[in-house]
Amino acid sequence: MFKKVIQSISKSLGGKPAVKPATKPKSGGGVLDKIAKGEPLDSGKPKTPEELCEIKKGMSKSDIHARIKLLYRRYNRAASSLDNKTRHEADRMLDAIVAIREKHFGEI
Amino acid sequence: MADYVGIDLGTTLSGLAYLKPDGNPEIVPNADGERLTPSVVYFDSHEDVKLVGSAARDGGDPDRTIFQIKRHMDDPEHLVKVDGKDWTPAEISALILAKLKRECSRIIGDINEVVITVPANFNELARKSTIAAAEMAGMKVKRLVNEPTAAAVYYAESQGVKGKVLVYDLGGGTLDVTILEVGGDRIRILTSEGARHLGGSNFDELLLDAYGAQYEKQMSANLFSDEKHRRRILQATEDAKKMLSKLQRVNDTVANDANSGIARIDLTRDQFESMIRNMLTRTVMLVEQALDSCNLKPSDIDHVVLVGGSTRIPKVKKVLEKMFGQTPKSCGNVDECVALGAALFAKSSARIQEVCNASYGTLAMVYNATTKEEKVMNSVVIPKNTPIPCSNSQIYFTSEDNERVIEVDITQGEDEDPRFVDVIGRITLEVPPNRPKGCEIAVTFSYDENQRVRALVVDKQSGRSREVAVNYKGAGVLSDEELKRRTKHLSAMRIE
Repeated sequence: MFKKVIQSISKSLGGKPAVKPATKPKSGGGVLDKIAKGEPLDSGKPKTPEELCEIKKGMSKSDIHARIKLLYRRYNRAASSLDNKTRHEADRMLDAIVAIREKHFGEI
Repeated sequence: MADYVGIDLGTTLSGLAYLKPDGNPEIVPNADGERLTPSVVYFDSHEDVKLVGSAARDGGDPDRTIFQIKRHMDDPEHLVKVDGKDWTPAEISALILAKLKRECSRIIGDINEVVITVPANFNELARKSTIAAAEMAGMKVKRLVNEPTAAAVYYAESQGVKGKVLVYDLGGGTLDVTILEVGGDRIRILTSEGARHLGGSNFDELLLDAYGAQYEKQMSANLFSDEKHRRRILQATEDAKKMLSKLQRVNDTVANDANSGIARIDLTRDQFESMIRNMLTRTVMLVEQALDSCNLKPSDIDHVVLVGGSTRIPKVKKVLEKMFGQTPKSCGNVDECVALGAALFAKSSARIQEVCNASYGTLAMVYNATTKEEKVMNSVVIPKNTPIPCSNSQIYFTSEDNERVIEVDITQGEDEDPRFVDVIGRITLEVPPNRPKGCEIAVTFSYDENQRVRALVVDKQSGRSREVAVNYKGAGVLSDEELKRRTKHLSAMRIE
């Protein structure tokens, strides 16, 4: 999954490029961290929209709202990726995001 | 010669407009007398001719008919094979543009330089393919402009509005949302957001499924077994969709190509709206994203403007009315205003403040001082929606002793997670040996009015630097030689 980008990173690391930012990284990485470490979408048995979007039991409405907003922004962008596989997976995620929104916030 | 020409190269329809001497834009009809040309190409097997437009759409072998090629402009692997030759999406688009150029220039004179509209979220490959298509058709692209920006320019000019305007452009293949501010004769774009594969043709496909289900229920047979018949039914579903924008219920009769009988299709507007609800929810989420991008609330928007044929669907208006508490206004002729706006843009681009279409940055090892963790992240240098022209810098440090080569991957995309951005280029800078880690490296990106991006890497200690034009050269991009060869080939073709 996402071979293109990962390869590029590996190459960069292998070549010891780089670079550390002078400033602290932006905050708000909690959710991002989990996604970055998450399994590929096609890694096993079919997942529910909640599992795909990592919506946990007991999450508040505002947390769910923030979560699906973040995911929508991410996967809507990914739907225009230069990588074919990323685009395909983005479509699946967008369906899951809509299902979560309708379940928790009602139909439009 | 026509000085200011705009082209809307649409998923289902394309149009060309020019600026008349009185400063008003006008659509130029094709030689078939149509103001808009269906974006369909037919490769005839008897005569060496490429049909473009209604003639191509309305008949012929589906294996030789190409619909909605715009949807594949960002796919480097998509090739259309006809008579043993592979055609790229750019070449197919070039045939459509060539027809427009050849036929419209008979009315308005030579067309050499044009503004072409593209969806807001077209990626680098799709934008390059659009420019290549125009060049193959014998036109120089003065500028690419986002479709909703062009429509907004037309709306602002023709209606004389002021304040914050949200343009909701739901076309045949894509949704674009732009928010802009109009004051005096200046137009300031605040954001442009887009969603891929979200438009009227998706709705047609859903109706096709409904037709198929009703046929199977009544006749216990499949409605279609080949592409030719599927296309015919798809045309019928498009007609049904249009009728459901005016009527509460439509009836149709359809037969398959195996003589299984004629079925009566019965569809209501409620059923149709239920079918497209998922997609309309996505459109609402894009509108919310656009508002968030500019820190605006729905109540801050003075005018909501509808563009694109799919905004004729009553549910679209209802959803937006509920969201904004105001009745959305139609942008005159929703099918033509993008081309008309592009012609206006060709002349007045200096009065229009645009923004970066995407974030640009670099991959970097990011150290989190709180968790003491290090990981590779996308470090944004120019955020999306920064007013252009602009130039931003970030300072980074080398992470190893004796680093000899600094490699900077150039990314496009705002996500911090590198899996969700595109790497569109790389700069390599050789630096002196035997230096400790922690040397300062400045990375500067600049974005000019013509949407050209440049990247500059400076090693602060040695003063060595390297600057490059960020130019995506990945899969699917034609070399200059190949482009010239295909341009020559296309110029000799018979295109009707």
